[in-house]
Amino acid sequence: MATFHVLIIGGGATGAALAHDLALRGLQVTLVERGEVTSGTTGRHHGLLHSGARYAVKDQESARECIEENMILRRIAPESLELNDGLFVAITEEDVAYRDLFLEGCAQCGIPTRELTREEALRLEPNLSPDLKLAVQVPDGTMDAMRIPLRFLATAKHNGAVIKPFTEVVAILKQGNTVTGVRVRDHRTEKEYEIGADIVVNAAGPWSEKVAAMAGVHVPIQPSPGVLLALRGRLCNMVINRLHRSGDGDIIVPQRGLSVVGTSSWVVEDPDNLPVPEDHVQLMYEKGAEMVPMVKQAPFRAAWSAARPLVGERGATTGRELSRTFKCFDHADEGVEGFVTITGGKATTARGMAETTANVVCQKLGVDAPCRTREVVLLPHTAYYVQPD
Amino acid sequence: MVQERQTYGLIRRKGAWSWLDVRGRRLGAWAFALNRLTGLGLVLYLVIHLLVLSLLTQGESRWNDFIALAKSPAFLFLDVVLFFGLLFHGLNGIRVALVGMGLGVERHKTLFWVLMTIGAVLLLLSAWKVFSSPAT
Amino acid sequence: MAEQTVQFKVFRYKQGERPSYQTYTVRVDPRTTVLRALEQIRQEQDGTLAFRHSCFHASCGTCGMKVNGQEVLACVTNVLELGTPVVVVEPLDNAPLITDLVVDMGDFYARYQPAGMPMIRESEFLPDSQVPEGVEHHMRLENCIECGLCLSACPVAGSDPLYLGPAALAAAWRMVEEPRGRDPATVLAWVDHEHGCWRCHAAFECSEVCPSNVDPAGAIMALRRELTRRKIGQLFGRR
Repeated sequence: MATFHVLIIGGGATGAALAHDLALRGLQVTLVERGEVTSGTTGRHHGLLHSGARYAVKDQESARECIEENMILRRIAPESLELNDGLFVAITEEDVAYRDLFLEGCAQCGIPTRELTREEALRLEPNLSPDLKLAVQVPDGTMDAMRIPLRFLATAKHNGAVIKPFTEVVAILKQGNTVTGVRVRDHRTEKEYEIGADIVVNAAGPWSEKVAAMAGVHVPIQPSPGVLLALRGRLCNMVINRLHRSGDGDIIVPQRGLSVVGTSSWVVEDPDNLPVPEDHVQLMYEKGAEMVPMVKQAPFRAAWSAARPLVGERGATTGRELSRTFKCFDHADEGVEGFVTITGGKATTARGMAETTANVVCQKLGVDAPCRTREVVLLPHTAYYVQPD
Repeated sequence: MVQERQTYGLIRRKGAWSWLDVRGRRLGAWAFALNRLTGLGLVLYLVIHLLVLSLLTQGESRWNDFIALAKSPAFLFLDVVLFFGLLFHGLNGIRVALVGMGLGVERHKTLFWVLMTIGAVLLLLSAWKVFSSPAT
Repeated sequence: MAEQTVQFKVFRYKQGERPSYQTYTVRVDPRTTVLRALEQIRQEQDGTLAFRHSCFHASCGTCGMKVNGQEVLACVTNVLELGTPVVVVEPLDNAPLITDLVVDMGDFYARYQPAGMPMIRESEFLPDSQVPEGVEHHMRLENCIECGLCLSACPVAGSDPLYLGPAALAAAWRMVEEPRGRDPATVLAWVDHEHGCWRCHAAFECSEVCPSNVDPAGAIMALRRELTRRKIGQLFGRR
């Protein structure tokens, strides 16, 4: 079998999982990332291992993806997760009214739930608001937002993939209507060079529209940032979600010695240099404290913004109306060969996104190799830096 | 043992200067730096001390000349500096030894100040003794 | 919000060239961190500036650097709170430089590996809370975020390139403290040599700069105590 060369643009969770998948299928893989790996959206997310329950009512496709990938990640990256489960907490009567719809949605998507009384929930999490009415336990968890992708990259590297951080794509090379490679600038030397490829995959998350434009195609992406707030100390052991339709400041994720309160949602044109609006930070304090009052007293650690890559045309107002599922575009449909874009999705579903994309890539190249990423246990994250380039 | 991988040729490592570079550092690093300095100073003192003793082999007058010099106030001040070095190195050494065996690790700063207070008292006493001794 | 301008004097290095410093003027507000200021420089003034970052909230450990001579995480270092008209930004010491503020973490992580890399620990917060059904006990991620600040700040690592360093020794102690079925003797043997836990000379800078309350110095002393205890035990014929 001739070895095809696939070049991946973007060193986030998606690109990392894709490099791993393609390397396992025996393809030659090069991944380029303009900064350090996971420096875009991936590293900045709240570190929630989604059970899918958040989407079980409104966005069931995304919910099913989440629960499936959640269980796979527990198998292939066990040491990079906090096995702490999550609670959906009802604070108001309005929240309580949402319970039936929520439980029904979870059941439809195959997400296991357990209803807890107020007393049971407070015993598990004594810092919950005394206004608590009831809670539902789901298999959420905390993941290491950076180290899971590092494990994908470490394993990919071990299987022969070449990972090039600090390597920025400056042009996409085409012959006629076929993409033949990329021109990159190496930020370690500031020298430019070309890399040829049989297929180029655009996995640049919220930047994928910009990257696609270099190849002369359009990707409907709406960069939608959210503000997150990190507080010192673990205010809870489990992930605490508000039992309602998704809204601002409705999740608290304990992470190492921190508690992360998230998120808000708005839309921007440019995913770089995101502002951290002060009113959003205050909203995180207020909304977070409705679930866990100690949020207001806990010492501040950090406030930052991260841009979600939501699939959808421009014109959305907050981004909440857009699905959190992912989409793989084969730009042959628009007349450009050798160029594929994978975008949308979530850190939890990165492996699934990679599987779908690798299937498209293999089909285009006529490679018949099954996906093995559901079973292969990932190397430890340290192996990414320790293995020589 | 770990082998060092040096792929890029450039590494910011200060060598022995990192012992003494206390800019922006805190108590532990100051104590460490001063310990190294006083340690080196005491070694230097030992060498000078042996050289001075070797004057004895060069006759009585050379020795007496030195003793006269040793009674000058400036020289007596150097004796106090020597006491400072001895006291600091010795007392901080007690702290490092205790902490190094895992004793009082959380209270290493308190331990430092307690020992240094003892040291300061001893230093004042010795300075008083040095300067008030009859010049015989 | 009140904006001010601050000068950033940034260490620059591209492979094959001589290192230098470059000064940039940056608009900052009361929430601007050093990391966001660097992003701003890269976006608006100089696309060639390279630095490492990922999580923006002191959970990943990639943005370790020296700011005004101190090892910090750039993501939680507020610019105006530094209070200096010029902010000097340099890469960490005691690690090979790749470019600008980027250091190679390969050696650092290689030193971790024999510790068995404890990544998760039994939960220690909220002792009253019960464990959910189907879970043996809560697991949580380790405090250490592997940022390398301790290795940069250590005066002994500055003069002994082979010293295992505070982070690796702290990881070793975590393994000895919570072996979870493994044999601590192998890890203890690994740290029991002149470049291991005995090299430390109690400057405590590692614990001072640690952004995650790991207290590597305390861990090193605990390793020594454990080794001493075992050696004395052996003298008297016990193991």
